[in-house]
Amino acid sequence: MTNLPAITSRDPLRRGFVALPWAVACGMLTYAFIAGGYFVTVMSFAMIYAVFVIGLNIFMGTAGQVSFGHNAFAALSGYTSAVLTATYYWEPIAAFAAGLALALLVALVVGWPTLRLKGHYLAMATLAIGLIVYEIATQWQSVTQGYMGISGISPLAFWGYEIVSERGKLFALVLIVLLASLAAARLRASRFGRALAAIAGSEDAARALGIDVAHYKLAAFLVSAAYAALAGSLFVHVVEFVSPEVFGLHMVVLAFTMLYVGGIGTLGGPILGAVIVSLLPEMFRGFKDYQDLFYGAGLIILLIYAPKGLAALSDLLPRKGRA
Amino acid sequence: MPDLSYLPQIALSGIAVGCIYGLIGIGFCVIYNASGIVNFAQGAFVMMGGMIAYSVLNTLGLPLPIAAAVTIVAVAAAGVAIERVVVRPLWDRKATMFVMILATLAAQIVIERLALIVAGDQPKTLPQFTDLPPIRLGVVVISYQFLWIVGVSLLLIVLLGQFFKRTKAGKAMRACAFNREAASLQGINVSRMLALSFALSAALGAVAGVLITPTQYTAFNVGVPFAISGFIAAIVGGFGRPLGAFMGGIMLGLTQSMAIVAFGAGLKNVAALSVLLIFLFIRPGGILGEAK
Repeated sequence: MTNLPAITSRDPLRRGFVALPWAVACGMLTYAFIAGGYFVTVMSFAMIYAVFVIGLNIFMGTAGQVSFGHNAFAALSGYTSAVLTATYYWEPIAAFAAGLALALLVALVVGWPTLRLKGHYLAMATLAIGLIVYEIATQWQSVTQGYMGISGISPLAFWGYEIVSERGKLFALVLIVLLASLAAARLRASRFGRALAAIAGSEDAARALGIDVAHYKLAAFLVSAAYAALAGSLFVHVVEFVSPEVFGLHMVVLAFTMLYVGGIGTLGGPILGAVIVSLLPEMFRGFKDYQDLFYGAGLIILLIYAPKGLAALSDLLPRKGRA
Repeated sequence: MPDLSYLPQIALSGIAVGCIYGLIGIGFCVIYNASGIVNFAQGAFVMMGGMIAYSVLNTLGLPLPIAAAVTIVAVAAAGVAIERVVVRPLWDRKATMFVMILATLAAQIVIERLALIVAGDQPKTLPQFTDLPPIRLGVVVISYQFLWIVGVSLLLIVLLGQFFKRTKAGKAMRACAFNREAASLQGINVSRMLALSFALSAALGAVAGVLITPTQYTAFNVGVPFAISGFIAAIVGGFGRPLGAFMGGIMLGLTQSMAIVAFGAGLKNVAALSVLLIFLFIRPGGILGEAK
């Protein structure tokens, strides 16, 4: 991979600094496989969030846009999966396809007018989309059962092969995250990805180079919505339960924290951020009420003091040799 | 089809809650004009207004007017604290608008969670300011709280107008809204104006919170819906125009109370958010057009 130039550096200290968070992340995943039990669940959540954050990173990190409302697409797909498998006994794959289609349709319809907005208008419009979907999930009781939530959702299954064990689920999720990350890396290196990076740099300059800015922004929005939809469906199948809180504002703040911890705009950042941030509440067990408090406060501190996240850890070291 | 004779009554309750949205919307405008920042923690001030007034009233046993005054001062101090701890460091580092929005949204959640931990999740309410039976005018019943809400809101608007027109600080803030660089060249301390705008905006939010709590309730999580309604009010009125925000608030309050009658109370937030999206998509400059 070419995304971590510092890892090829000859300075062993710097190399170690860059590798440290990755060592922690890989160590935690390995530990989860060996130890099993509750820790597997923690890492499974981390992997589901990683999918969501990888998508968000394409829209925000690569294309330089803003969305506070991607939880809407996770909710749409998650609820579709939940209702179709729990009430109508669909296959999980078919239900996910339906959820994905619905999420993409909504993203297309809402994205078109939304993405013409800028700055705080764009931020507020996307926030509103997320909140509207959340409100509907709490109010449309005949379908979503409101705050009670839907239980009895079928477990994760691929072409009839059901994954029952917790370790098996985690293994499948790790595979999905690697595939999702690989796809994001390919996308970033493609013509499409370069166009998005150009838009992030300067919309006017990108337009001057012949890039159809509006179309590319919408495409990036749809791609990231698809990732969000995948995360939403994975969540309901892994937990086998869904309620509106799962996809509330909490999800947005958590995802942003992960994105900023890992390093926005980097390829590995989302995975790194998801694993590290998921570990935090485990360190503060017994402080369940304090979770969102720590996430919020941590996010503020990161935004102020380390806006590049762990991926830029080596920048803290004084540079030797080359000026 | 609901009974249409209720309509004037519904309109009155819409106006009352609309005044509250208007005050919150003005709070958005005050900070935006002074600094170009959109403070997404605005709802926290409203929530704190109700919650602090409740605890001052019930634990310290102070009379309501004093409790309200203490609350407003405390929330204004909280506003300055947010400015110092969250906004100022980012401002000094020239953070992008998006980072500023994200940070203030995170501040909102931190305050919300603190309130949950300190005060618990039970809804709280304040007594009516004037404990007299409501006034009957034909089919319409006017409660004294309605008069308090409308009266105090109008008074505040007049006072704010005078503040911006006559006082030195008010004029300086208007100069910042016009052009921050030119203002600082004139010797105006722009960064002090930032702190002042947060104090003023927080105080407005606190007043809104104290006024509205007797008619409904307050809890740790009322902030975000209030902030969004206030933001909608500011957008509808043309962002950055305090008077427009107040009018926008009343329009939103009326729309929302009609929506409650037509679709039920459950969808009132969906109705408000839909109004927001329609405005953003069709006319993001609001009815009067954005300030400047």
